[in-house]
Amino acid sequence: MGLLERLAADGVMPNIAARIEAGHLRSMRASLPEISSVSWTSFMTGANPGTHGIFGFTDLNPGTYALEFPDFSRVEVPTLWDRLGRRGLQSIVLNQPSTYPARTIPGVLVSGFVAIDLSRSVKPLKWLGTLRRQDYRIDVDTARARGDHDWLFQDLEYTLQSRAAALGRLWQEEDWDYLQVVITGTDRLYHYLWDAVVDPTHPRHEQAIDYHRQVDRFVGQVWSRFADESDDPESHFWMLSDHGFCAIEQEVQLNALLRETGHLRLGSGATELADIERETQAFALDPSRLYVHSQGRFARGSVSAEKRAAVKRELADALHALRYHGRPVIRDVLDAADLYEGPCAEHGPDLVALAHPGFDLKASPTASEVFSRTDLVGMHTWDDAFLLAPYPIEGEELWIGDIAAHLEREFEH
Amino acid sequence: MKGFTLWFTGLSGSGKSTLAQAIEPVLLERGVMVEILDGDEVRTNLSKGLGFSKEDRDTNVRRIGFVANLLSRNEVVAITAAISPYKSVRDEIRARTANFVEVYTECSIEKLTERDPKGLYKKALAGEIANFTGVSDPYEAPENAEIVVNTEQESLEESLDKIVRSLELMGLIPPGEDNHTSPEEEVVIRERLQALGYL
Ligand SMILES: Nc1ncnc2c1ncn2[C@@H]1O[C@H](COP(=O)(O)OP(=O)(O)OP(=O)(O)O)[C@@H](O)[C@H]1O
Ligand SMILES: [Mg+2]
Repeated sequence: MGLLERLAADGVMPNIAARIEAGHLRSMRASLPEISSVSWTSFMTGANPGTHGIFGFTDLNPGTYALEFPDFSRVEVPTLWDRLGRRGLQSIVLNQPSTYPARTIPGVLVSGFVAIDLSRSVKPLKWLGTLRRQDYRIDVDTARARGDHDWLFQDLEYTLQSRAAALGRLWQEEDWDYLQVVITGTDRLYHYLWDAVVDPTHPRHEQAIDYHRQVDRFVGQVWSRFADESDDPESHFWMLSDHGFCAIEQEVQLNALLRETGHLRLGSGATELADIERETQAFALDPSRLYVHSQGRFARGSVSAEKRAAVKRELADALHALRYHGRPVIRDVLDAADLYEGPCAEHGPDLVALAHPGFDLKASPTASEVFSRTDLVGMHTWDDAFLLAPYPIEGEELWIGDIAAHLEREFEH
Repeated sequence: MKGFTLWFTGLSGSGKSTLAQAIEPVLLERGVMVEILDGDEVRTNLSKGLGFSKEDRDTNVRRIGFVANLLSRNEVVAITAAISPYKSVRDEIRARTANFVEVYTECSIEKLTERDPKGLYKKALAGEIANFTGVSDPYEAPENAEIVVNTEQESLEESLDKIVRSLELMGLIPPGEDNHTSPEEEVVIRERLQALGYL
């Protein structure tokens, strides 16, 4: 039983319990890597990363080796909301991660993480004034909240309330056919205080549980308003997450591993992958993407096309061999050719590692130790995102990119 | 961000309202707050009861100028689109207003008569409308407007571009950005990703 079911069963989240009772709850797979930029872009496009082009929060410029931050302008395939718009349908989309800078959709879009400037997060702009006056918050102040947990809880509550207020206005004033709101506060809480959520003896346990009560009330409000206005609300109400969560046992630095194996060579004192040396055969990008330093792809690339497969095998072997106190760290190493499909696939990684729960993969270029701990306590998991659908959806391999098609089908009759 | 008053002046049909509407989203996009003072809304609220005599027109224009100044000194961009035919009144408002930017929408009577969507020029030229600016009432074109657009020769896009570019050059609005995150934003994105354990 996952956290959501447990909190529903324990009476912490009675509204969600009622929705679970009425609907069909199951687990599903997130994207790989299992981070929000990739998972949410897969959700909103219904496409594979090889088609939508988002493989992480960062990319490495193959010419300059500078770290780049692919934004929404890179997503050239239509979104679910664009496709609904072609049927003349309007969407309200509030706090959708990875849609910054916002672009015009048929309806209203308010971007979520990593959205920065509200004036570039809102389309159409006529909504900017209202959201500003409501003191709408895109996200909690994560930089501050990470170290100041009193602040974290205050900010979580304030942000959720401002989200509810914004949703209320949008709902009231816009005609819509599809409405979607994303709650990002739970993700922040779990990264910083997962232990407080799951451990009843943790000093912040009550606060952490109380935030779930607030989230449940919000879901309850959304449901009851929807139920009031819809003929058949139970058939059209969906909930899902973009990944699961679990406790971190160790952070695992892939570039530190690649340095140990001799695949990655960075000049001494290097702080960035920009300082990569020609002899480098492979490097990693957050959180779990492995790139062969291929000739013809990267400016200083040194691995020829013939050697590429061999380097990939070496990397997979090194990852599979990795042990922490005798236990394997890596559950699987996936070949991009099996994972990604489409015109953007060639810009993605060569391999993606999937860790056993508890081992949080990272790719800091400077970390010297493979295993370490920080103050972060929660990490994403891949195959236990949840889906609450109005009808049973079968298939062991169901993943978040499949959901858009189901949602679109709702409008066919 | 500084507020300013974007004061359109020009004959009826010369493009004041069209340009005011067109520039509003551009300004919002640049992160400034905008109010448009134009047309029926002004005539039915601020200037209710005023007619079209010289005295009433001057009062109307002075009231618009008064409100525009209140807005622009509070960091709002006030856009006005009254014909405002008299130079002395415009200059009086200019003297009182912080960051006054006059935009002259230049267009010949011939062209306006050709546009004439409401048939007003034809009637005025036929002597059927008294006090019609440019025909039976004077229009005093500005001599030192900050921006002049010739709506007879320019397309709407060209005129709009000219105004936006001029405002950028005057430092009144930040330069236009495309749909990409800026280098400054990337610094913030880095911090946020680090706060969640990435990079
Ligand atoms: N470069 C241009 N800039 C603005 N409008 C233009 C331009 N070229 C052609 N036009 C046309 O000129 C007309 C201008 O009408 P508009 O209502 O904006 O005039 P106005 O100055 O506000 O008149 P009034 O004083 O009667 O309110 C519109 O039909 C517009 O499409
Ligand atoms: Mg007008």
